[in-house]
Amino acid sequence: MRARLSLVAVAALAVATTVAACGPSAPSKTAGGGSDATLTIATTTDVVNFNPLIGNSRTDNWITSLMYPRLLTIDANGAKQPYLAKSFGYTNPTTGYYELRDDMTWSDGKPVTAADVAYTINAILKDKPAGNTTYGQLVNVDSASAPSPTRVELKLKAPDSTVVGEAGFWMNVVPQHVFEPAGSVANFANNSNWVSAGPYKLTSFAKGQNYTLERVTPYPFAPNNTPTVAKIVYRVYPDINTEILALKNGDVDLIANALPPAQVKNLQAVSGVKVEQVPGLGYAHMTYNMKRKPLDDLKVRQALAHAVDYNAIRTVVLQGQAVSTGSSPIPPVLKEFVDPSLTEYNFDPNLSKQLLAEAGYGAGRTLSLSMIYSLQDAVTAQWATIVKDDAAKAGITINLQGMDRNTYLAKTAAGEYDIYAGNFAIMDDPTTNMALTYLPGGAINYSLVDDPALNALITRAQASTDRAEQRSLAQQAAKLVHDNVYDNVMYMQNLYFAHSDKWSGFVVKPSELLSVVDPQSLANVTKS
Amino acid sequence: MPQVVRFAIRRLGRGVLTLWFAATVTFLLLRLLPGDPALAVASPNMTPEARQILLHQYGLDQPLLTQYGKYLWQLLHGNLGISFTQQISVTDVLLQRLPWTLLLTISSLVVTVAVGIPLGVLAATRPRGFLDRLVQVGGVTGQSLFVPSVGIFLLFVFGLQLHWLPIGGAYSPGVYGPAWYGDVALHLVLPCFSLVLVQLGSYVLTLRSTLIDSLGEDYCVLARAKGLPNRKVVWKHGLRNALLPTTTLVGLQLGFLVGGAVLTETVFAYPGIGRGIYEAVTQLDFPVLQGAFVLLAATVVVANVLTDLAYGLLDPRVRTA
Repeated sequence: MRARLSLVAVAALAVATTVAACGPSAPSKTAGGGSDATLTIATTTDVVNFNPLIGNSRTDNWITSLMYPRLLTIDANGAKQPYLAKSFGYTNPTTGYYELRDDMTWSDGKPVTAADVAYTINAILKDKPAGNTTYGQLVNVDSASAPSPTRVELKLKAPDSTVVGEAGFWMNVVPQHVFEPAGSVANFANNSNWVSAGPYKLTSFAKGQNYTLERVTPYPFAPNNTPTVAKIVYRVYPDINTEILALKNGDVDLIANALPPAQVKNLQAVSGVKVEQVPGLGYAHMTYNMKRKPLDDLKVRQALAHAVDYNAIRTVVLQGQAVSTGSSPIPPVLKEFVDPSLTEYNFDPNLSKQLLAEAGYGAGRTLSLSMIYSLQDAVTAQWATIVKDDAAKAGITINLQGMDRNTYLAKTAAGEYDIYAGNFAIMDDPTTNMALTYLPGGAINYSLVDDPALNALITRAQASTDRAEQRSLAQQAAKLVHDNVYDNVMYMQNLYFAHSDKWSGFVVKPSELLSVVDPQSLANVTKS
Repeated sequence: MPQVVRFAIRRLGRGVLTLWFAATVTFLLLRLLPGDPALAVASPNMTPEARQILLHQYGLDQPLLTQYGKYLWQLLHGNLGISFTQQISVTDVLLQRLPWTLLLTISSLVVTVAVGIPLGVLAATRPRGFLDRLVQVGGVTGQSLFVPSVGIFLLFVFGLQLHWLPIGGAYSPGVYGPAWYGDVALHLVLPCFSLVLVQLGSYVLTLRSTLIDSLGEDYCVLARAKGLPNRKVVWKHGLRNALLPTTTLVGLQLGFLVGGAVLTETVFAYPGIGRGIYEAVTQLDFPVLQGAFVLLAATVVVANVLTDLAYGLLDPRVRTA
């Protein structure tokens, strides 16, 4: 009996020791921070990767963009504006350039120079970090060089009038002296000893918990070169509903994720909460797979386009928080490019029936199609049923195929659908996005369209460095897309972000990716 | 070789086989999942060439058998691989999360056993009494509860309405020193309570029914007839035998706890292995999922071996079986 008790005691001690050894331990207080305010922000996902050249989830972007500057930023109207680059453009059709400001430094005291920018571009070209958005945009770039500490030049393989603006906006510049010794940027985790070009630097994190960033000075886009808030803390919550509870509870000051449409009015009425509106830069759409019969028939696509009550979707599902694009792939927020002459396909089931009859349907021959969408996208899942019900009024059967996001992406990539329903998050440059969406082989050409006239317009717009000519070509291309129903753009959603009314001074940027958590915004907020 | 050592070796051998089987099934199941890891992590406008580069980086362009061989070889050397998305070792990914899962599951198990045993004994010693009926209704209700529903209800009542407890995470940022431990305990209350609520019923009902049976056995009747106080009959004679199925249940429940912890950790944003699994599934991060499932399988195997050994201690007949 005594031996047995001893054995139990030893086992209990072993378990206790293991638990104590493996148990959570208290974090140590980090240096700095001062007594200034802390802004606590809610997010729903962890940082997947601290290397901005690999990670592209929203939280990755929100946090790494506070440390690794972009060459350009964007204003509320979607126009590119200087940031690290003071000016940018082309010296000839195959040479692009950025002229950098000379007052930005990394947090270890080294200046941010053209060499860092050239290194970043060349490293992306060499190491091909494939999760990175910029890699696809640099397809026409041969190499980058730094002829002076403030000038970057891009040598192009072919004329490309979009690359300077697009790479400038999307690419985070990384410090050469930190990233180069690590070898390939495609495999560099960058998960400690961060060096930042402000306004904030990550100082600690606990996966699944929180990410703490501390102020970096000097930061030239903040008052007196000093970001107003000492610390930014991102806290991880399971979903938007819990984030809303946390905001109401006072646990967080701002929700980084856009609010679901149904929550906007509720939160606008909550005392102590303020809701900011941000114009969208993406759109929701349906594309019809033109490699499948009968969707290669214009009459059928037109019949489908006239069988949806777009206004009802915007009113009921989006609660009036979305605007029509006139069924054009150029969102109205891009004021420079938008073509007001394009009007939305009107909801007319009788016209749909007539078009179907012209295509040989009716009298016992019904049109039945499947539509795929992601069940994780709650808004699309809601309007999918409206599309189905409306189509039934025109005698069209739509079989809804909601599925998990990974299956949806795999089916999309394989072209296994009749109708694809989904969202594009940021369509910041019409020419670039039309090339991706409507050129044969384009990465997001989900309608699988290949129209020589459309191809010619887009290709010419890509090569033109004359802004007026580029606009005209893009508008002609948009009209072709509209008239031939190569894409059925349904709405552009405005986005809403909630924060405690104790905070003010947020700078609004279009899209959920930038929203009110862009570096320039967070460096300027104040607590009352 | 002593009997108990042979017994332990036999059980451990079975455990190793179980682990190999779990590792293999996990490997195959993940590759049968719909979706493409490259698409799950990359930009939507990734070119086909970029996708190929990613698949090559992940080693997913190799034949399945090659991938399996490499995976087993790494596993044999204690190497769980590199996370597709985070570019750090899976061991590090799991070690960041393991302490929280251990804290949550062990504390909920301890509370469940500490509350469940007295409740089961009380119910069994007064069959068909008020407390017994209450325990039965409560036990059946508890077993049918769904962890996320319980979690959201608790969050709403104790977090949002009453403001007594935090609504997510494992601790508040900016809290250091001794206060941190109190803060961790506060954050543990709701997730732990929701796990206790859903598993308590099984313990109480199992213990109640086996104890009622034990108390009707001849040796208990004899003990009573010899004049032994009822308290001693129940706690010393009846409970010892009745604890055998409950001990088995504790081992089995560890497996359930792991599953329950995935949901609980997701609802409460608790940063453990469960929440990590949820995120790895959304990103199709195969190495993290493989590592996590091997770790969980190992936990269940070890728990079962310990259960068997405890069983051996409680019932000497088992050692010779």
